[in-house]
Amino acid sequence: MRVDSAAEQQVDAASCVAACPVQTDTRLYVELITQGKYEDALELLLKANPFSSVCGRICHHPCEQKCRRNRVDAPVGLRLLKRFIMESTVDYRLSRRERVEATRSERIAIIGSGPGGLTAAHDLAEMGFAVVVYEKWDTPGGMLGTAIPRYRLPYEVLKEDIDDVLSLGVELQTGCEIGRDLQIDDLRDQGFAAILIATGLPESRTLGVPGIDSGGVLLAIPFLRAVGLGDAPSLGERVVVIGGGNVAFDVARCARRLGAEKVTLVSLESQQEMPAWEWEMEEALQEEVEISYSWGPKAVFSEDGVVRGIEMKKCTAVFDDTGRFNPRFDEGDVSTLLADSIILAIGQRGDLTCIAGSAVKASGDRLEFDPETLATTEPGIFACGEVVTGPGAAVEAVREGHRAARAILHYLDTGELLKQPVTEPPSLGDIPLDIAEKIKRREPIIPELVPAEKRVRDFSEIERGFTEAEALAEAKRCLACTTGALADEEKCAACLTCVRICPFGVAQVERTAVMPQEQCQACGLCAAECPAAAIALKRFGTNRMREEIGNIFPRMERGEDLQPLIVSYCCLFEVTSRKLVRAEPSAAAETGVARVMVPCVARLSVVDILAPFELGADGVVIISCTEGDCLYPTAEERLSARVQKAKGVLDEIGLGGERIDHWRTEGSAEVSWSAFWEISKRKLAALDGMSPAGMEVGT
Amino acid sequence: MIVGERKPLLELKGFIEDYHKVLIVGCGTCATVCFAGGESEVEVVGSALRIAFLREGKEREILEDCVTRQCEPEFVEKVVQRVKEEGIEAVLSLACGVGVNFVAGQLEDVPVFPGINTKFFGATVEPGVWVEMCAGCGNCMLHLTGGICPVARCSKSILNGPCGGSSDGKCEISPDVDCAWVLIVERMKKLNTLEHLSQILEPRDWSTSRHGGPRRVVHEELKPVETGNEQE
Repeated sequence: MRVDSAAEQQVDAASCVAACPVQTDTRLYVELITQGKYEDALELLLKANPFSSVCGRICHHPCEQKCRRNRVDAPVGLRLLKRFIMESTVDYRLSRRERVEATRSERIAIIGSGPGGLTAAHDLAEMGFAVVVYEKWDTPGGMLGTAIPRYRLPYEVLKEDIDDVLSLGVELQTGCEIGRDLQIDDLRDQGFAAILIATGLPESRTLGVPGIDSGGVLLAIPFLRAVGLGDAPSLGERVVVIGGGNVAFDVARCARRLGAEKVTLVSLESQQEMPAWEWEMEEALQEEVEISYSWGPKAVFSEDGVVRGIEMKKCTAVFDDTGRFNPRFDEGDVSTLLADSIILAIGQRGDLTCIAGSAVKASGDRLEFDPETLATTEPGIFACGEVVTGPGAAVEAVREGHRAARAILHYLDTGELLKQPVTEPPSLGDIPLDIAEKIKRREPIIPELVPAEKRVRDFSEIERGFTEAEALAEAKRCLACTTGALADEEKCAACLTCVRICPFGVAQVERTAVMPQEQCQACGLCAAECPAAAIALKRFGTNRMREEIGNIFPRMERGEDLQPLIVSYCCLFEVTSRKLVRAEPSAAAETGVARVMVPCVARLSVVDILAPFELGADGVVIISCTEGDCLYPTAEERLSARVQKAKGVLDEIGLGGERIDHWRTEGSAEVSWSAFWEISKRKLAALDGMSPAGMEVGT
Repeated sequence: MIVGERKPLLELKGFIEDYHKVLIVGCGTCATVCFAGGESEVEVVGSALRIAFLREGKEREILEDCVTRQCEPEFVEKVVQRVKEEGIEAVLSLACGVGVNFVAGQLEDVPVFPGINTKFFGATVEPGVWVEMCAGCGNCMLHLTGGICPVARCSKSILNGPCGGSSDGKCEISPDVDCAWVLIVERMKKLNTLEHLSQILEPRDWSTSRHGGPRRVVHEELKPVETGNEQE
């Protein structure tokens, strides 16, 4: 038996996984997509992140920024693949909902129903606690529900995630503001054993410039909230947005959708310094938002108390020599913009109403808090998320929610505080340049956004998700980092075959063979050729082929029509629908064709090709990708040579090498594979004197 | 390395036809490196034999194993154990002839069949191509011939070549075979030692080779030393 110990081998995390604040196993969910296991992928996603539907839409996707494909062409569309999973499993997700019975006597109160608070609620409910979440607004979701524009995040998408959390039995009390409607001390009196403050940064900061109190000067968060509720104020034709961050762009783009003809975003920062995501800026420019870089507000001028415009002064530097935010201006270089409305999006601050009347201490608008234990100054009262960390991304709030749940569990179990430093796990880092050069380029699939002139008409979602075919094609681009080959030094004879065969120049022989994980592309060619059977593969292990046919074959019996039995090894990467990926044993019995989907059939060894005959198959049909389309250089030639060798073995024992057919996909799997099976079946039927009549190979 | 080539599958099948439980044993060193009898080849042979018996409707249990070297008692011991414990009726060894001899000697009453034809001592001249380079004559003379062995690489093993069968650098037996003596001359030109060839080499004493009977090498210092604790 070959070694498959690579599965247990500890390697550094794939760069995408390490970069994710909640360490979602990005690489694995992409692999599960290629296998058509969308439900398993959903389980993986929800375990890491209860806000996976939200993140499939709006995550800033650090995974993609660290994707090792960046050095080859462009990152894998991991966020859209996540969205694809969420959109493909809606019914399944509903069916898996189950209330968790409280197994702990302690009750926990959470203040704030944003992604941080609700993630903590989710985890604590799963741990067996009774959890009550208090939300001051009428709807849950925090900033996701109130500030993120619907064209980026439809509310029903957010609701999928929220309802999932609530379905565990988490109690939600909306319209209840702690510190006003109820005090923290009341919660204590009600017997809550722990309280989590996760109130985020719900307040917009304002500016101290003359005229700022004029009518028509708005704050970003209340504005976005009103827009979300369909209660947007009238803005007029000319809108000036002050700020350069993502919220400023949300505001500007909403203003365009509300009918403002001329929206100008004014930022202190220069074009290179802009804090907003690059894609936000690009999309805003497409929507004809104008950007004035390096200007700061000097005064708002108004007429009859109503804003008429803004005077700006040139910003000469945003940061001082120590890198701190400390803008300097050239007061002599001024400019003026006419405006019917001005919206300030210059940052947010916390709202500490909730601690009013309690002993929890704050300095300024920040809670006093230990970032490692998440403890406030009061025992049993914890805090997490933006209220203590400052502005962050949604997925970071999810991470903080997980940490808070662990902190509270530990506290309730032991009475002690748990230190949880935030660390990024060791990662594979970037792919070495010499390896990147050898990897075949493959353009990413990027669904086009709704055209800008159409999308500014309303708040409909501007991005569409992947179709199944697109998702499967994009998943194929994943380099499968960390799933490479591993040589067993006990077995390795240092024969150098792997070194000579590796199309990426990765394998080396020192005393025995080594395939450095940060370089290996997991093509499997070395494992297929190794004469010592010393090389294991993590993704689709070397024993998998035999296991899969072993699973299918015992249930395959010859029907009365005596049709030939075929095992077909097929390139997993050629399918455009999971209907073809998942081999149903019953279908195999019916059609006589048992499919084994392999991530690149070039990893089939000679014995893999022979094994089906041992189990009684009459023929083996190998279907590779379209000619010239294989991900791996030399793989097609190597496979052809191995097929010849296997045919030679059958010839030698008198069974005949013609029982093995090697086809290349033509057009698509759905179009060509059935025809290949049909041809092979007819040939085998003739060889064995069976009747080819009535044979129909379905998919 | 010792280079071999797997025997035809039907020949192997013939060896074991009358046994119901057979163990195929690969060898993890030379036979692996020359692709004749490593673990992967054991799997291929095992698979092929099972398929062949299956097609004939014969029930045979074909088991597989591979050891680091079949020419060492410690490594062979586990094969011996397995054969005894599992009631294996015959062994098909995919080692060189040394391994077959050695395993057969250890097993005594269980037949051991050779799965490969042992060919020569050779080197990998390019991936997938091995060429004979040494005949194991027991009295190396490579210092006289520019590092090219006329015993192994000349078809006639002549010591004062080339012979009249050399043509355009090739041996008359095959256009694929280089004339060793042409190679020797060219090499010695590069080494600036061509004049050494003007000295005729005397006929050799072949008793160091096969002519002297089976050979052995002894390192006294490696022989087991009694610790004094051995049981009587």
